[in-house]
Amino acid sequence: MKDKISRDQMYEIHPRIPLAHKQLEEGRITRREFVRFATLLGMSATLAVACAPADEGSGVVEDDGDMADNGVPKRGGMITIGMATDQIIDHPARLSWIEGSNVVRQVCENLTQTNPGAITVPLLLESWEANDTVDQWTLKLREGILFNDGSPFNADTVLFNFGEWLNPEVGSSMLGLLGYLDGDIGRVEKVDDLTVRLNLARPEIGVPENLFHYPSAIMKEGFGGDFIKEPIGTGPFTLEDYVPGERIVLKARSDYWGKSEDGSALPYLDGITFVDLDKDASVSALEGGEIDTFYQPRPADMAALDGADNITSNVASTSSVTVLRMRMDIEPFNDIRVYNAVKKCQDRQKILNLAWLGAGDLGADAHIAPSQPAYAPREIPELDIEGAMALMEEWSADTGNSLPLAVTLVTKNDDGEAEFAQVLKEQMDKAGFDVTLDITEAGGYWERWDEVSLGITAWTDRPLCTMLIPLAYVADAEGNPVPWNETRWVDDEFIEVFNEAAGTLDLEARRELVGKLQDIMLERAPIGIPYFKGVGSLLNSKVKNVPLSPNSYFMLHEVYMEE
Amino acid sequence: MARFIFRSIISTIVTMLLVSITLFILLEFERPSVAKERPCSGIIRKILGIMATPEQCVSFRNQLGIDQPLPLRYVDWLAGNDWRAESKTGYPLVTLDNLNSGEEEWWMEVDGRYMQFEIDGEDLVALVRQEDGFVEREVMNDLWRPNDDGAGEQFWGVDNKGRAVKWLLGSGKTAFISTQTGWQEIDNAPDDYLPLRKGMLRGDPGFSLRTNRPVNSQIFRRIRNTALLAGLAFAVVMPLALVLGIVAGVNEGKLIDRVISVGGLFGTATPEFVTGMLLILVFAIWLKMFPAVSVFTTDKLSLSDWKKFALPVLTLTTVELGYIIRMTRASMVEVMNTSYIRTAIIKGMPFKRVVFKHAIRNALMAPITIIMLHVNWLIGGIVVVEAIFGYPGLGTYIYDSAIFGDVNALEASAMVTVLVAVVTRLLGDLAYTYLNPRIRYS
Amino acid sequence: MTVATAKPKAPPGRFGRFLKTAAIIFESRVATIGLFMVLFWIVAGLISLVWTPHDPNASDFMINQGSSAQNWLGTDALGRDVFSRVMAGTQVILLKTRIPDINWFGSFTTPNFVMPGGVAIWGVLGSLTLGSVLGLNAGYRGGWWDQAISQVMDALIAFPRIVLYLVVIAALGTGDLVMVLAISITGAPGIARLARSLALDIKTRDYIRAAETRGEGKTYIMFKEILPNALGPLLVDAMLRVGYAIFTIGTLGFLGVGLPPPEPDWGSMIADSRKFMRSTLYPILAPAFAISSLVIGLNLFADGLREEITRFQK
Repeated sequence: MKDKISRDQMYEIHPRIPLAHKQLEEGRITRREFVRFATLLGMSATLAVACAPADEGSGVVEDDGDMADNGVPKRGGMITIGMATDQIIDHPARLSWIEGSNVVRQVCENLTQTNPGAITVPLLLESWEANDTVDQWTLKLREGILFNDGSPFNADTVLFNFGEWLNPEVGSSMLGLLGYLDGDIGRVEKVDDLTVRLNLARPEIGVPENLFHYPSAIMKEGFGGDFIKEPIGTGPFTLEDYVPGERIVLKARSDYWGKSEDGSALPYLDGITFVDLDKDASVSALEGGEIDTFYQPRPADMAALDGADNITSNVASTSSVTVLRMRMDIEPFNDIRVYNAVKKCQDRQKILNLAWLGAGDLGADAHIAPSQPAYAPREIPELDIEGAMALMEEWSADTGNSLPLAVTLVTKNDDGEAEFAQVLKEQMDKAGFDVTLDITEAGGYWERWDEVSLGITAWTDRPLCTMLIPLAYVADAEGNPVPWNETRWVDDEFIEVFNEAAGTLDLEARRELVGKLQDIMLERAPIGIPYFKGVGSLLNSKVKNVPLSPNSYFMLHEVYMEE
Repeated sequence: MARFIFRSIISTIVTMLLVSITLFILLEFERPSVAKERPCSGIIRKILGIMATPEQCVSFRNQLGIDQPLPLRYVDWLAGNDWRAESKTGYPLVTLDNLNSGEEEWWMEVDGRYMQFEIDGEDLVALVRQEDGFVEREVMNDLWRPNDDGAGEQFWGVDNKGRAVKWLLGSGKTAFISTQTGWQEIDNAPDDYLPLRKGMLRGDPGFSLRTNRPVNSQIFRRIRNTALLAGLAFAVVMPLALVLGIVAGVNEGKLIDRVISVGGLFGTATPEFVTGMLLILVFAIWLKMFPAVSVFTTDKLSLSDWKKFALPVLTLTTVELGYIIRMTRASMVEVMNTSYIRTAIIKGMPFKRVVFKHAIRNALMAPITIIMLHVNWLIGGIVVVEAIFGYPGLGTYIYDSAIFGDVNALEASAMVTVLVAVVTRLLGDLAYTYLNPRIRYS
Repeated sequence: MTVATAKPKAPPGRFGRFLKTAAIIFESRVATIGLFMVLFWIVAGLISLVWTPHDPNASDFMINQGSSAQNWLGTDALGRDVFSRVMAGTQVILLKTRIPDINWFGSFTTPNFVMPGGVAIWGVLGSLTLGSVLGLNAGYRGGWWDQAISQVMDALIAFPRIVLYLVVIAALGTGDLVMVLAISITGAPGIARLARSLALDIKTRDYIRAAETRGEGKTYIMFKEILPNALGPLLVDAMLRVGYAIFTIGTLGFLGVGLPPPEPDWGSMIADSRKFMRSTLYPILAPAFAISSLVIGLNLFADGLREEITRFQK
């Protein structure tokens, strides 16, 4: 461990770091929050970790999720990974599925890399700097990096890639993520051959994290738009064989620029083979040693291989979630008593146990997950049949409707929703409802997901709550719910607090505001969130040094295999 | 005989045409009201994602060419549409292999050079193919032609995604393109699309909607893999089933006959997926003798790979065995009851010699030809077995395509299975006719 | 016909005919065994309509438990009683078909109407009807009718069955009615072939000539004269096809495109339990046994019946 540095030295790195450090010392923000914050503002990861001593001792190792053992890395060997390989890979900026990015990631690299524990470090960058107001970022590029076709990586390359991300015709989801650039390539400025400056329209702290978002692989200048035809990147592997739906083979590059900590050449592996297997087959194949790991095992797969002697397993918290949502513009859920009664019928632990086999974090009806920074811990509400019944009786007496109230719960069946619905129905039937289940395959639900009055919708992981809430719980300029607002819930106080939180850089103040958002959602949003999914990983024990990514990104350049 | 063969072949061709029409209508017919009122339904939703807007979907339908009338699309699918597109572009359209991926790409031949086009602002930019496979960009604004309605200029060319595209210039019209970030309105954007294809008859089933790669780049390896699996299974099943069938038939009514027949019935009456799973449980999980999944990390098979085939072949064997045993047994029983065999036995010819020299030869004709007639039955079993073992064959290809709604891939692969079934049946018919003098001479 | 003339007494009534048919069944040991196997499942299904040990769809227990006094065949991955689910699994196959709301989305919703008779039964009835009509027309009318119908049937028969199912499902989605339709379409060509050959044979008989001389219409002859005499073999064939249909429903359920939840479906039960096969086998073995025994029962029954009928006709 390096020595700590003084607050003044922190100030040198960025004026906002000392305050955060003070908050850390006073125990008002967590260590993990501080490290994320400080590294984003340009502090080196080692320094940030050193400045934030682990109080419980084990915190560092757990948070880093680094499975590094202290063995000597062995060279050679092909790693075999079970993963769907059949979806479209053309322009990496257009990727909409993690599996595809897991192939591209080995060949092409990002400017930054977010390691487990939410620590973002430079990758193709040498370093970055934010100005005091955090609305101007200077990116320093690493020198001497060559693409696998021999062409150099420089500021023009970066400008070209920003151009692709901001070009609406390319259709990259980076365009929305880089909203602070206003879609204007003019805000991306070439200072010299190895320096690029971003002039933001508003302050933003997450810029380095965003540059690791999966569609942001750096392509060679002049890239034509099809990765398979031009698999040219700076990464440790090259594309050897591409058979969609069957296998994708990557081979190690001998002239990769990256070096391990002790200075030896990377990668250790000879190559990677992705084989297309469904999850059931993957479990058997992993057990039999045909593959070394596979993409996103389901809870059932984790349970199936629980205790197998050659398998290492891990679960990471995410903000992936199935939301029990009610449309508050449709009878009977236009009455807060009715939807709050439904919320009280959630037997959260049982739902988590059956739907996700217990692998996850319990939720308190707020669409803000414990895995997201700024989450404020809250008590988990208990199942409350009497409370629900009381609300329903009151509602029935007021409105003259008779109980039980017949409702139809609509959902799909591929993500634990069916089990969720089943448990919920059992409880709701005791509390004055008469629930009919309408469970279809995924397509059947997505045809009408925002139309049904009572449904369970799956929402995927987003690293920050500020990336999700504007999609689903706000109104547009005219006051109409935004297109993905499936509940039509628009709450003025909520939106006001949210805007305040989004503009707050101070960690402690921000968490207080986010906590307020969580309380409002629990109190009066027509959504029920009993749990957030844990996403697991299963690995043959001979594979070492695998960073655990909550997003199921495979980062393999330092991975090696013991025979 | 010649007339019979001729008729059979004609009938086979008609069958294939009917099959193709059935497939095409089943998979591609859509109520016009659905296309109009719910443009995002089905496969469009799957490709564009759940959040796609109706405008995006309409544009995407145009890009896929599925906004055209069904009969026209059928002709495109069967016979290609490059000839139709050439009448619009005015230049010949050719396919050349991409030097990197080996996939066929469409190019427009302009004055002996091969070009694809894109728009950069107001400029029409040609991507001119070089000897080394790379492209050089060149502004080619003299290719613009007066617009159909005289209001501006237009150009029909080929883009780099294998589509004939109509661009409009200065017509004051804006066009829409769909992107993942939303609905973009841009000037001088493509106005009309015609996805180019050579048609099934010329061996081009088009692009897979799932992978956005030519179906051809995948389907042939799948066919090869399945042929290998089926061939191995066939090599195991046939001798085994014939021997058991003969033994049962010769010993009609005896204990051994009962054992074989009932065993075969159980094998056949147990669904493939149950058999497969039980075999996985016993041989892969408990005994750890064979892998439970057929994982192939390379195209080159080595001898040690035989274990990967063990369980799929064993499953197919168990399932198909019973049927062929039954056929063989029935045929054997029939032959053993014919007067010439009985006479031979009564006359004191050694029983073994009667069976081996006379009965078997006559008894095997029928099952072998009948098996040829039932190849499509075997293909059905292969689909399930491949799905259980994750075997990368045509069966899993069909299954995955069906689940995704990848109509191009599904049509092509279903046509392949039908072709195999129809051709083997034709051969079976011919063999049967040839071997059976009563039919041959009637 | 030969039957009626062989008996000097008055022609037996409806009940008498039934008894006679029943007697045929019991003359064959194979058919008797088959019949009991089938009856076993029908009775189990009927009982499950009113009573099962536990609610087949309720997650009342610990998950993946082995056999116990409470759960005779253990519980599945959702804590549901396997025994009850296997019993209730008979329903969708043999006893009831769920008709969904027809809506524009093409997806199935909660059935608001349940039709008696299972998916396999209606599917085979569909192919029996379709196949007989086409086959009788082809066989009796001959000529272009025969050419055209046979050609179309050849095209349909050329599809490997599972491929055609997958195509139909890709086109129409899943659901009870789609399954009925798919079974009907895939079964029709086989029945049509049989009906055609039977019609070809029967139309040479004297009583058909007689009817033609009487000036009866073609439709009358086909359905009043030929069909009743072809019905025996057709029904036996249909019985076998019920077996195939159950097989196929199970297979599609295993592939994840079978009958929609929440009603238990044997194939889906096996598919859902596959990933737990290392810890618990009952949820796989029990429905597998159910499918096999029902199919074997139908096979034996049909075989025995066919043997007896042919012997009877000799």
